[in-house]
Amino acid sequence: MSDPVLSLTDVALSLHGNAGMVDILHGITLDVHAGETLAMVGPSGSGKSSLLMLMGGLERATGGKITALGRDLGPMSEDALARFRREHMGVVFQSFHLIPTMTALENVAVPLELAGARDAFDRAEAELEAVGLGHRMGHFPAQMSGGEQQRVALARAAAPRPKLLLADEPTGNLDGTNGTAITDLLFGLQERHGATLILVTHSPDLAARCSRVVSLRDGQIVPDAVLEAAQ
Amino acid sequence: MRLAYAFARRELRTGLRGFGIFLACLALGVAAIAAVGSVRASIEAGLSREGAALLGGDAEIEFTYRFATDEERAWMDAQAVAVSEIVDFRSLAVADVDGVTERGLTQVKAVDSAYPLIGAVELDPPLPLDAALGDFGAVMERVLADRMGLRVGDTFRLGTQDLTLSAILVTEPDSAAGGFALGPRTIVLKSALEEAGLIAPGTLFSTKYRLALPDGADLAALQVEAEDRFATSGLRWTDARNGAPGITEFVDRLGAFLILVGLSGLAVGGVGVSAAVRSYLASKTSVIATLKTLGASRDTIFLTYFIQIGILTVIGLALGLILGAALPLLFAPIIEARLPVPAAFGIYPGPLAEAAVYGALAALIFTLWPLARAEEIRPAALFRDALSSGRLLPAGRYLVATLVLAAALVGAAAWFSQTLFLTLWTAGGIVGALVVLALSSILIRFAAKRLAATRAARGRTALRLALGAIGGPREEAASVVLSLGLGLSVLAAVGQIDGNLRNAIAGELPDVAPSYFFVDIQSNQLPGFMERLETDPEVSRIDSAPMLRGIITQINGRPAAEVAGDHWVLEGDRGVTYSTEIPGNTRVTEGTWWEADYTGPPQISFAAEEAEEMGLSLGDEMTINILGRDITGTITSFRAVDFSNAGIGFILSMNPGALAGAPHTHIATVYASEEAEAPILRDLASQFPNITAIRVRDAIDRVADLLGGLAAATSYGASATLVTGFLVLIGAAAAGQRARTYEAAILKTLGASRASILRSFAWRSAILGLGAGLVALVAGALGGWAVATYIFETGYVFIWDNALAIIAAGIVTTLVAGLAFALGPLSARPAQVLRNRE
Repeated sequence: MSDPVLSLTDVALSLHGNAGMVDILHGITLDVHAGETLAMVGPSGSGKSSLLMLMGGLERATGGKITALGRDLGPMSEDALARFRREHMGVVFQSFHLIPTMTALENVAVPLELAGARDAFDRAEAELEAVGLGHRMGHFPAQMSGGEQQRVALARAAAPRPKLLLADEPTGNLDGTNGTAITDLLFGLQERHGATLILVTHSPDLAARCSRVVSLRDGQIVPDAVLEAAQ
Repeated sequence: MRLAYAFARRELRTGLRGFGIFLACLALGVAAIAAVGSVRASIEAGLSREGAALLGGDAEIEFTYRFATDEERAWMDAQAVAVSEIVDFRSLAVADVDGVTERGLTQVKAVDSAYPLIGAVELDPPLPLDAALGDFGAVMERVLADRMGLRVGDTFRLGTQDLTLSAILVTEPDSAAGGFALGPRTIVLKSALEEAGLIAPGTLFSTKYRLALPDGADLAALQVEAEDRFATSGLRWTDARNGAPGITEFVDRLGAFLILVGLSGLAVGGVGVSAAVRSYLASKTSVIATLKTLGASRDTIFLTYFIQIGILTVIGLALGLILGAALPLLFAPIIEARLPVPAAFGIYPGPLAEAAVYGALAALIFTLWPLARAEEIRPAALFRDALSSGRLLPAGRYLVATLVLAAALVGAAAWFSQTLFLTLWTAGGIVGALVVLALSSILIRFAAKRLAATRAARGRTALRLALGAIGGPREEAASVVLSLGLGLSVLAAVGQIDGNLRNAIAGELPDVAPSYFFVDIQSNQLPGFMERLETDPEVSRIDSAPMLRGIITQINGRPAAEVAGDHWVLEGDRGVTYSTEIPGNTRVTEGTWWEADYTGPPQISFAAEEAEEMGLSLGDEMTINILGRDITGTITSFRAVDFSNAGIGFILSMNPGALAGAPHTHIATVYASEEAEAPILRDLASQFPNITAIRVRDAIDRVADLLGGLAAATSYGASATLVTGFLVLIGAAAAGQRARTYEAAILKTLGASRASILRSFAWRSAILGLGAGLVALVAGALGGWAVATYIFETGYVFIWDNALAIIAAGIVTTLVAGLAFALGPLSARPAQVLRNRE
């Protein structure tokens, strides 16, 4: 097997809460390989989203080591992490997080603009066409449905051709029909661009479409044996 | 940068909604400063344009207590197309009206037929001046004529000369150049007073020679020539380049002071601006986090929002400048009617640029910290709340930048106002007040939190909720105390200083001050003068001293200004006396007083405090020009002189031999019961018509009026600060409306009536207003105490009516601002609010 594109070794995360330090994750060791599709599942509060944040460099681990595409994320500054993300990662959120003051086209163009692409808007147009929103380019997020907004978010994540595509409950805020359409688009993009897809989901159907499923409970990965026994 | 600009432009697409308070605070602060500066520039332009008319000629040469010598007059005649001679002095106008003798202090202007060289005197009835003054005629201001019961055609006396009041003086073209006068004006021909016994060697008068110069005359060159040619004559030159130097200086200083007060308004506005930026950036947290997730660097984030705030700042500055330039123009007729001097209202770029610099620097200072926080928002904020860095201070580079900007603001203020000392005090005061207010808000929150938990608060739901809300984690307390506190502090300080000064002037001073100053007592009149007073049992004390006037021209052989700078003792002429003994109300602090029979070279005893300020030492040589003659003496002693009780106090005293032969008069102070004042005046004025009596109570009233005007001007400035504070409060109340709506929804769900919720909101506002008022009062009282004790040395009493007004203003202002935004939360339906919150 090839070298992992993402490697986590004994990763821990503790955060300051109102009641003092809270251990969110501990002892997470995981390798993800190129082209893999990985679903992270588990009950609410198990640490799935936090683990995804660590993988995307959106949060700093308080213990262990995270390597993405051969780069140790630990010593990287915030700006270095931002550069790394815009060059290699795309992130999709459950709440879309489109910028309300920007049109669909501008939203998709933002990561390309940040990367200094001269043809940012041409490429953004192509991405929106690809997700079926060629007719909505000049619309603002508030003028679009939830499904449409998530498609814009998908186009934005895919536009820089990231090697790693991270999605946090991408269908969580959508109805069944829209959820299926987004899932199809997400996997289509992953396949077309050969990216590695890591997603967090509560949906068994979505998890079932992934090549691997990792289950979390109480901030730890549940071993396969335990999982099987539980099932 | 290009990218940040593109992002900023997109972010501002929603328009200026939500930036109302930001723009209002900035615009108001800038407008106040621009308006004050524009009015000042208009007055200065008016003074400059009308310089010759104000002065009454293209140039003026003034002498004290003497006329020009033949040589001086010949030089003037050689330079000028026309010369007009004026004698200015104080005197008592006396009239017998319906069998009662009335006396009024007046500032007499004895003119020649050439007066006025420029402009015209306006009289009622409208007569030509020469017709009014001919045949022992005179004109006087209506206020004096009315006070004495004189009508046109009546007769009155100046000295021993009978004169006919031929008209009322409405305006004199050169009135602004006269400076501070204790009495209303009377104009008479100088030739009519030759037998009046008023203008004699040694009496207190000044002569002014107005010169009408040929077109194209070089004023600066002529000034240099006059001052060089008559270097030691005590000549004072003024010309049309600055026709009313006293007024120009006063306007300049008052303007500078009011602009500094305006800066406190800008500081309060800055608090509002800062709060508005924080609130805006808080609403942008998810956008910033999203941009970071997509790879935006800290710099890109900072620049994106810096550019947005920059664009808004430019809009705010523009609004402020338009307002500040337009207001003086709009109100020009009203302002002009109240000004004693001409003003050329227009748009002046200088003061507008000054206001823009202040506004831009203040906006930068107050927005840099919140902007610095923006770049610290981490992408993980999209996933969970409360992920701020938790750092109290922003990154070091922003701290340094803020300090540099603050220094630039203080530097700009010092440069523009030309008063480094006052600027530093003002800046220190504003920063100190903001720190004290911020600490006080923490204290108020702490106290409210503790009080909310006490037994006393139990059962008083509205009060407990209000205390709990104030003590809670929101920033309402800080916002209210900071925004309201600074304006109220300035108002409280002005109120306390003004009240103490008025007390000192109206209350304490007359108790220790004499009833009358008598001036121009001739040496041969002194025995008779003393006899009348010494035999009066109502007179408790009489002090008299010989009085000469002199100008200190040199110290140790060098021009005095080179040694002692621009010390006030060197400005114009000073009283000089001589004495064998040490006067009773002074004591020698250093050196020795001359022997009673000393006849050697001139010796000088100088006031100790002023000597120290001027850097004088025992043994220094000082040259004083008295009536055109230089007298050089050695300083052999320093004296402590108390000027606070309005008694006789001389900076300069010399041994009698030094001034022997110089013509002089005497000055006397008389301490008598109030009932005895009128008979004393009647008797002395009848017996010695040339003597001028100045009633101390009248003089004090004039000074009190002037001080009252200054206090009012300062209060207007402070009120602008308060209005800005009110705007900030409105902003804070508007920003807190969502939280209050949620709070009200929960309380309603739990069964609270709208009345009890409203009571709770009212309590909250009133408590915070009371807190802000109390803090301001303590700050203001401390400021008032410091100024009263150390600057005016009047002693300090707490002024209660001002204090209560300040507290009431605090409570009312917060109540109005708070309750204005209570209706929304009260009328919102709880189910809707709580569902939206899900």
